[in-house]
Amino acid sequence: MYDNPLTKRDAVTKEVKISARGCQVYYGDTHAIKDVDVDIEDKTVTAFIGPSGCGKSTFLRCLNRMNDTIDVCRVEGDIRLDGEDIYDPKVDPVQLRAKVGMVFQKPNPFPKSIYDNVAYGPKIHGMSRNKAELDEIVERALRRGAIWDEVKDRLDAPGTGLSGGQQQRLCIARAVATEPEVLLMDEPCSALDPIATAQVEELIDELREQYSVVIVTHSMQQAARVSQKTAFFHLGNLVEYGETGQIFTNPQDPRTESYITGRIG
Amino acid sequence: MTDATDPSAQPAAAPQRRSSLLQLDERTRRRNAAEARFRLMGLIAVTIGILAVIGLISSILFNGASSFRQTFITLDVYLDPAKLDKAGTRDPEAISKVTTFGYAPLLQKGLVDTMAAQGIALDGLTAKQAAELISKEAPAQLRRYVMADVSRIGQTVTFDVLAAGRIDGYFKGRVTMESAALDRNVSPEQLMLADRLKEAGMLRTKFNLDFFTAPDASDTRPEAAGLGVAILGSAYMMLVVLVLALPLGVAASIYLEEFAPKNRFTDLIEVNISNLAAVPSIVFGILGLAVFINFAGLPQSAPIVGGLVLTLMTLPTIIIATRASLKAVPPSIRDAALGVGASKMQSVFHHVLPLAMPGILTGTIIGLAQALGETAPLLLIGMVAFVREYPSGPPDGFFEPAAALPVQVYNWTQRGDPAFVERASGAIIVLLVFLVIMNAIAIILRRRFERRW
Amino acid sequence: MSESTKGPHIVRSYDRDLEAIQALIMKMGGLVEAAILESANSLEARDEEQAERVRKGDKAIDALEEQVNEEAARLLALRQPSAGDLRTVLTVMKISANLERVGDYAKNMAKRTGVLLQMAPIEGSSGAIRRMAKAVEIMLKDALDAYIQRDVELAQDVRLRDHEVDQMYNALFREFLTFMMEDPRNITACMHLHFIAKNIERMGDHVTSIAEQVIYLVTGELPEDERPKADRTAIDPTTAQ
Repeated sequence: MYDNPLTKRDAVTKEVKISARGCQVYYGDTHAIKDVDVDIEDKTVTAFIGPSGCGKSTFLRCLNRMNDTIDVCRVEGDIRLDGEDIYDPKVDPVQLRAKVGMVFQKPNPFPKSIYDNVAYGPKIHGMSRNKAELDEIVERALRRGAIWDEVKDRLDAPGTGLSGGQQQRLCIARAVATEPEVLLMDEPCSALDPIATAQVEELIDELREQYSVVIVTHSMQQAARVSQKTAFFHLGNLVEYGETGQIFTNPQDPRTESYITGRIG
Repeated sequence: MTDATDPSAQPAAAPQRRSSLLQLDERTRRRNAAEARFRLMGLIAVTIGILAVIGLISSILFNGASSFRQTFITLDVYLDPAKLDKAGTRDPEAISKVTTFGYAPLLQKGLVDTMAAQGIALDGLTAKQAAELISKEAPAQLRRYVMADVSRIGQTVTFDVLAAGRIDGYFKGRVTMESAALDRNVSPEQLMLADRLKEAGMLRTKFNLDFFTAPDASDTRPEAAGLGVAILGSAYMMLVVLVLALPLGVAASIYLEEFAPKNRFTDLIEVNISNLAAVPSIVFGILGLAVFINFAGLPQSAPIVGGLVLTLMTLPTIIIATRASLKAVPPSIRDAALGVGASKMQSVFHHVLPLAMPGILTGTIIGLAQALGETAPLLLIGMVAFVREYPSGPPDGFFEPAAALPVQVYNWTQRGDPAFVERASGAIIVLLVFLVIMNAIAIILRRRFERRW
Repeated sequence: MSESTKGPHIVRSYDRDLEAIQALIMKMGGLVEAAILESANSLEARDEEQAERVRKGDKAIDALEEQVNEEAARLLALRQPSAGDLRTVLTVMKISANLERVGDYAKNMAKRTGVLLQMAPIEGSSGAIRRMAKAVEIMLKDALDAYIQRDVELAQDVRLRDHEVDQMYNALFREFLTFMMEDPRNITACMHLHFIAKNIERMGDHVTSIAEQVIYLVTGELPEDERPKADRTAIDPTTAQ
C-alpha cells in the first residue's frame, strides 16, 4: 500500500515539541548561533544540515543543555520543551537530559557489559524497583534499539566488543532506556559503514513512531532519507527550514541550493 | 624550478624521471646511509646505557650480595646460675640487672670448652684472644635469649653466636692474612684458629636473617647491623604517604580536571603544581623542618614527619599522573554519561575514575617508589639519627624515632669499618628489590585494569 | 550552459557531465527543428528526396534520445543530484522524450508526404501547413532558448503561443472538411493532410510541454493555471461548420 505519498508528507503537521525563539549562542567572543527560530515537531525526524562549523551541532547540544559543561558557552533566547523554558534557573539539566536523550557521533558504549550499558540510565534515575523490572527495561530498550536479537545471548559481554553499527544501536538503546521524549543524534552514522548506516536509519524511522528525533548529519543523502523536516544552518544562521522533500528538490534560498548541490558560493 | 637559470638543468631532469626502480639514485643512497648512521648511533646509545646499568647492578651485587650471608660460631654455653642469678630466685627483674658484661665470660668459657671438646688447640692464643673471634654483639644476643625465658638458666645450650666482623670478612675474602698482620683488631693467628674451627664444623657461614630484622649497630659491630628499623621506618612513611597523598592528590586532580572553571587562577595553580614537581627534594626537607618540627612541634626522626614531607614531595607527581590519566579518558565517555542524564559527579565517579584508575595507581606507585628512594629531605628532619630501638606498632610508632632505607645506606657508607660497605650495598639491593617490586605492581595493575574503549 | 546565478560545482567534472547532457539536448533540438522545417518544405515543394531524408534522419534523433536517457541514468546514479541539479536532470529526460515525439511526428509527416506526392495537390493547403510548421518550429526554438537562458518569461510566452497553433489547426480542419464535402475524390489527400496538421498541432503541445519543463526547472513548480486550449474540434461540433 502506498497511502503516504512522498509529496503529501508535508501536509501532515504534528504538534510542536521543542520551540526555539531568538536563540543565540556565544562561545567566548564567537557568536556561534545567531537568532535561530525553529519549531521541532513531535513524532517527526528533523535533520540539521550545513557545512562544518555552521553551528548545527552546537544548536543540537543546546536542546539538552550539553553546552552547560563548556564554561565559555553562553545561551540566550528562549528554548521551550512542551512549553517549558529549559534554560529556566529552576530546571536541573540532569532531569532535562533524562527527557531529551542524546546519541553521539562516535559510538561510545561504556566499557562495561551490554546489560550495564543499557541499565545505567534507568538505574541512576531510579526507574526500577528490582532486578526483574530492570531486566524488563533493558530488554525493551534493546528491542527498541533493534539489537536485542543480536545480543540477547551475550548481555554480559562488553559493549565495546560489538561491531561499530551494533555499538551505535546499543547507544541508541541506552538513550531510549530512560524513556526520553526527544532523541538528539549528533552524526550517528558518520563512523559506520553503509550497511550499518542503513540499519541505524531504519531504526530512526521506527523511533519516529514514539519520539521526536533530531539528527545532525553531514550526509545530505541521509538527511533526505530519514527526515521529514530539514533545517539548513550556515554560519550560525538558520537559513532554511522546511519539509525535506521541498528542501531537496526546490530550496528557496540560494545558499541552501549551493550547499546541497555541492556548488561554490 | 624558478631558480633554474642553467638551461642544461632542464634536459637533465627529464631522463631522471624515467630512471629504473632497480637502480638507486644518489639521493636515495645518501638518505639510506644517513638512516643507517642514525640507527647505529641509537644502538650505541642504548648499548652504553645497558652497559652502565649492568655495571652498576653487578658492582652492587658483587659488594652487597655477601651481606645476606653471615658467619656464625656454634658454642655450647653453660648458663651459669652463679653468675646470672646470684640470688637463685629466677626473678626476671633481678636477672635483667646483669649486663652484657656478665654474659661475656660465659661465652668465652663456652668457646674454650667447646674447642677443648672438639680437640682444637688454642695454639698459643689466650682464651681472651680466642674470644675475640666472637662478635661484641654476642653477649647481647645471649642476654636477649636468656631474658626471653629465664628458666634456661642452669642449662647448657647450643648457641649460634655471631662471629666478629673481621672473621666474617675473612671468609668473605675481605680480610686476608696480609691485611690481618697490619690490623689491630685481628691477628693472623686468630684467622688460623677460625680456619680450624671451620674445619671442625664449629664455624659456619649461613643465610643472614638478622640483616632484615636487626636494628642498626654501632661502628665496632658491623656484623650485627641490620635493616629492621629502617625497613619498618620506610614502611611507616610509605603508609603515611599513601594514606595522605593518594586521596589528596586524586581529589585535587579530579577537582582541577573536571570541576574547576578554567581561568587564570586555576592556570596559576596548574603551573605551580608542575613547578612543584621540579623543586629539589631538599627544599621539602627544609620546609618539613620548619613547619612540622619547629612550628607544629612534631618529634624529630619520626616516620610521621618523614611521611608528611614525602607526601608533599609526592603530591605533584600523583596529581600530574592522575590528571594525565583523567585527560586520557575519552570525552565521549563523559558525553555518554551526561547524555543519559548522569550528573557531573556521577559521570566522574561511575565512569571516568574507574577508567583512569590504572593510570592513577601507576602514578601513585611510581610516586611512592620515588618517595621510598628519597634521602635528602629525611636528613634534614633527623631521620639520619642512630636508632637502635624499634618503633612500636601503629599508631604510636609513627611518632617514635625510626630510620629509613636510603638514609641507612647513606649512614653506613659514612662509617669506617669496610664491613659497612658490604652492608650498604646489601641495603641498596634491598631498596632496589622494593622499587622493582613496586614498579612491577604498577605494570601489572596497568595491564590488568587497562580497558580498551 | 550552467545557470549564471549559481557558482560552479566544487567537483568540476559534475559541471562537465551536466553540460554534456544538456549539449545533447541542444543537438537533438537542432535536429528536430530541421526535421520540422524540412518535412513541411518537402510537402510544399513536393520533394520526395527531402521527405526521404527526414524519414531517415529520425533515427539519429531516436539514438540521441536513448543516449540522453543513459547519460541521465548514470548521472542520477553517480552524482545523486538534488535541488536545481535534480530538476535539470529530470527536465532533460522529459525534454528529450518530448523532442523524440516531435521528431516522430515530423517523420510521420514525411511519410504522408510520400503518399501525398502520388496524388493531385490540394490548393493552398501545403502553404498553410508550412506556416503552421514554421510557427511550431519557432516555438521550439524559443522553448530551447528559454531552456538555455533559464528564461521563464520566454517559456511562458511559448506556452501561450500554442493557442495560435491550435487556431491554425482549427482553420485547417474546417478547410479540409470543406474540401472533402466539395469533392469526395479529395478525401484521401485531405485525410492525410489533416493528419499532418494534427501532427503539427501535437508538436505544438509537446513544445508547450518543453516550455513548462523550463518553468519547472527554474521555479521548481509546474505552472498550475489552465493552459488556453483552442483545439475545440473534439468538443465543439460548431467549429466544424
